[in-house]
Amino acid sequence: MNKSFGRKIAIYAVLTFFTAVIALPLIIVLSSSFRTPSNMQSHLKLFTEIDLQSYRIAFNTMNFPMKFINSIITTGGSVFVIVVIGTMVAYPISRIKNKFMRWLYYFFVAGLVIPAQMVIVPVTQMFNTLNIPETRFTPMIMFITCSLPFSTFLYTGFLKKIPVELEESAYIDGASLWVRLKDVVFPLLKPAHVAVIITQGLWIWNDYFFPMVFLTKSKFYTLPLGMIQFLGSKDNPAQWNILFAACILVVLPLIVAFSLMQKKFISGITAGSVKG
Amino acid sequence: MKKIKKWFDSKSLIFPNKMYWFIIPALLMFTVFWILPIFQLFRYSLTNYNGITNNFRFVGLSNYKFLLRQGTILNSSKNTLIYTIVLVLGNNILALGLAILLNIKIKAKGLFRTIAYLPALFSPIVVGFIWSYVYMPDSGLIASLLNAFGFGAINFNILGNYDWAIYGVAIVEIWKRFGTTMIIYLAGLQTIDTSLIEASRIDGCNEWQIVRFIKLPLISASITINIVLSVIYGLKAFHYIFVMTNGGPGTATNTLMYQIYNIAFSEQMMGKASALAVVAFLVIITITIIMLIFMNKREVEL
Amino acid sequence: MKKIVALSLLMMLIFSAVVLAQDSEEITLTMLWSGTAYENDFETEILPRLVKEKFPNITLESTKLPDDQYYTVLKTKLASGEAADIILVQPGMAGANGVLTLAESGLLEPITNLKALDNFGPQARDVYTYEGEVYGISGGLGILGTYYNKDMFAKYDLKVPSNWQEFLNACKVLQDNGEIPIVMGDKDNYVMQFGLYQIGANGHYKDNPDYDQELVNGESKFTDDGTWDDILAKYKTLYDNNYITESSFGLSAQQAIQLFVDGNAAMIFDGSFNASAIRAEGSANFERGYFPLPANPEGEDTYASVSISGGPAITASSEHKEAAKKVLELWFDGQSEIFKEYIDTGRFIYSYGYAADKSDPLFKPFIDLYQEGKSFYWFNQQWPSGVNDQMQESFTEAVYGRKTIDEVTEDMQLKLEELLMYQ
Repeated sequence: MNKSFGRKIAIYAVLTFFTAVIALPLIIVLSSSFRTPSNMQSHLKLFTEIDLQSYRIAFNTMNFPMKFINSIITTGGSVFVIVVIGTMVAYPISRIKNKFMRWLYYFFVAGLVIPAQMVIVPVTQMFNTLNIPETRFTPMIMFITCSLPFSTFLYTGFLKKIPVELEESAYIDGASLWVRLKDVVFPLLKPAHVAVIITQGLWIWNDYFFPMVFLTKSKFYTLPLGMIQFLGSKDNPAQWNILFAACILVVLPLIVAFSLMQKKFISGITAGSVKG
Repeated sequence: MKKIKKWFDSKSLIFPNKMYWFIIPALLMFTVFWILPIFQLFRYSLTNYNGITNNFRFVGLSNYKFLLRQGTILNSSKNTLIYTIVLVLGNNILALGLAILLNIKIKAKGLFRTIAYLPALFSPIVVGFIWSYVYMPDSGLIASLLNAFGFGAINFNILGNYDWAIYGVAIVEIWKRFGTTMIIYLAGLQTIDTSLIEASRIDGCNEWQIVRFIKLPLISASITINIVLSVIYGLKAFHYIFVMTNGGPGTATNTLMYQIYNIAFSEQMMGKASALAVVAFLVIITITIIMLIFMNKREVEL
Repeated sequence: MKKIVALSLLMMLIFSAVVLAQDSEEITLTMLWSGTAYENDFETEILPRLVKEKFPNITLESTKLPDDQYYTVLKTKLASGEAADIILVQPGMAGANGVLTLAESGLLEPITNLKALDNFGPQARDVYTYEGEVYGISGGLGILGTYYNKDMFAKYDLKVPSNWQEFLNACKVLQDNGEIPIVMGDKDNYVMQFGLYQIGANGHYKDNPDYDQELVNGESKFTDDGTWDDILAKYKTLYDNNYITESSFGLSAQQAIQLFVDGNAAMIFDGSFNASAIRAEGSANFERGYFPLPANPEGEDTYASVSISGGPAITASSEHKEAAKKVLELWFDGQSEIFKEYIDTGRFIYSYGYAADKSDPLFKPFIDLYQEGKSFYWFNQQWPSGVNDQMQESFTEAVYGRKTIDEVTEDMQLKLEELLMYQ
């Protein structure tokens, strides 16, 4: 009894320590974002002032509403297309059993290990050759492409576990191939959709690399890309309160989404990694 | 002809050859924007293409020669490897250890899991900003804490230190990722049948033996996936270097991906960037193959 | 006949209406500049206000970015053809915004016909000329020198040194008395150029003024003995003896200036363009002095590092080139309110119009040397953009003992060859 009590204390001590390591920077960022920009007190003094001036400045400098809308469009649009064409490509891969399909699967999945930065030079050149104009939709092309290896991998894994019998009976009932995919298979893949939407949506929402490379007009900027203008302020303590307010503004939409759908997030991550 | 047909034919009524149409959109995008570019890398790597003018010419292996003689290949591969190893070890040991602790029935488990996961929600650029503050000499979080506890004399500046900067950046990535990794381990641990643990306890196994000989082998799938993910993220090391160090001090935190970006977009030498990308491609393929062989062997052993 | 007269009258009416309409059209000019905006900043506050007063239909929107970001933003904006109307360019090939590089790529508008250019001597025009056309206006003379704390020098009975040995001795005295001899913000490692080019002006360039030319055509190399190896070695002695401390690598350029202004260091290498920041009031009250770094041996003359500095240019993609030219015309005419305010910032050294009798006593020794021909330009203006970055990076490693001086010059040579390959 005593031994297990001591053990419990030790466990809680370890957990508390790690909670502090993770949370302390976040708490300080939150506390300092509520200070007026000129408040240069030690940041360790938490919540000594509650003021929204830093938020107001950050909100206006980064033109938050427009960037927020751009982020929504980019993320929503990309994820939608990924779910549709990801399901489509995984369906034949999981159902047709021949060498070609096996190689096609490896072909996509091999893309998992190739970082986007590597191909960026020829890709920008490809965009020029194909005359793809700069719009807020331009980075979506690369978001969709880059997520294909993962979504193919995940959907194929899920599809292989769905019994073929359902589709056989639908076939006997006279359902066409497209109807079978749309009405029988697609709904059964709901856990996979959740996993794809959560993991890929999170990445696309947060990524600044593709928007940075493809966008020059600030009216197309997404939220993370909007943060780049603060790069100069990070080494200047006099700018920190505003910078922190901007950080909170950028992560706020995801925090809200997460608190509303915590279960879905957790199952999305675990499904995305364990299955397949 | 017959052979080709044999290769492709689905031989099924329910899954007819018509299904091949479903592949088209994904295959087209993937080929045009991913596979073709990889092949083009080789061509660009032999030119002096600068990204602006299109009248570039072939310069042979000069780009590779400059990369070698300037020490860029060795330096950025070394930094990438250090970053990857630190990330793989730090991330997995921490996450696995905490997952095992959390799996014991304790209060506030959900709360801790939520907090540990929070950084995963943040954009890398935001994480970079937050840690720029944490690491800032004199007035940053760590420096202020050291001051508050009376270590004022210590000149804390990890990102300004040639030997430690790369570790400093890798720690940031661990901070962001280990919550996710831990959740995957937790999910794995929760699939273990508790009766198995009870049985082994009755057989006289101690805690360590239970972890080593029962829990670890049973979650080997989670271990594999987490290590593979960490390696992939490590080889992609870019974001925190971009935000926090710009590859410095000197070239101490230049990783392959940051260096490619830097050469391409700051120095405007697309040809040289392509040459480094080709090298990076070979490095990544080699590491992936080694990893796959190692993983296969290990799973057989456990 | 009547018809023709009536018609031509009508035409003139329409024409003038069009001209007037155009003239009264609201124009928004954009300007992108590098540097740090101070309170009541010339480029971001005074200039837009005065332009509005003089041309009510022109609104000037001016943005100032820190150097690194300025280059990145400028490059991406130029590439996409939506750069600001007026940008800051550097003479020769210096930096990513070197006028020759930009003009060669067709990104700038020629302004050869601008009347204001008549105010400048041939030198100031030449460095902005590409294939017979002028593409930028000189930002006046720029000086790299050594600012010093006169009170501190007096306290230890030091006078302005006239050769390298005297300079080292002065540093030693200051150090022995517990003072920081020289503070530099080496975290922004471009500041290394401030010291190196002063030493360089006293180096092999005296014997071979065409050295930089020869570098580009391959007759000379950075690795040649007695060239940059000597310059770099001299500068490195300052670090080896801790006259510039290693902690300088944790300081930004701005922090270093602050330390000097607060009286914590005796000297700082910096340019005339930062004179107002150096003059700003700090927590200590002392008199500032400015001398050319005497990197010369005893008995020889000191050469200064004086150059034509960066100034405005109009981009080829601008939609309001005429309006932009009007603004530049007024800005550099010699007596307009804009020119006066520009000169009164104390950061720019011109010799015509209102500026003629305004020269700062601080800069006098340098101007004298410049007129006597005892000065050299800033060397990066003649190097392909990128060589100086390599120099800074490799020199940093040399200070940390990770590279020898010879390896630094090798790096510079390699970078040069590589950049020439990309031209």
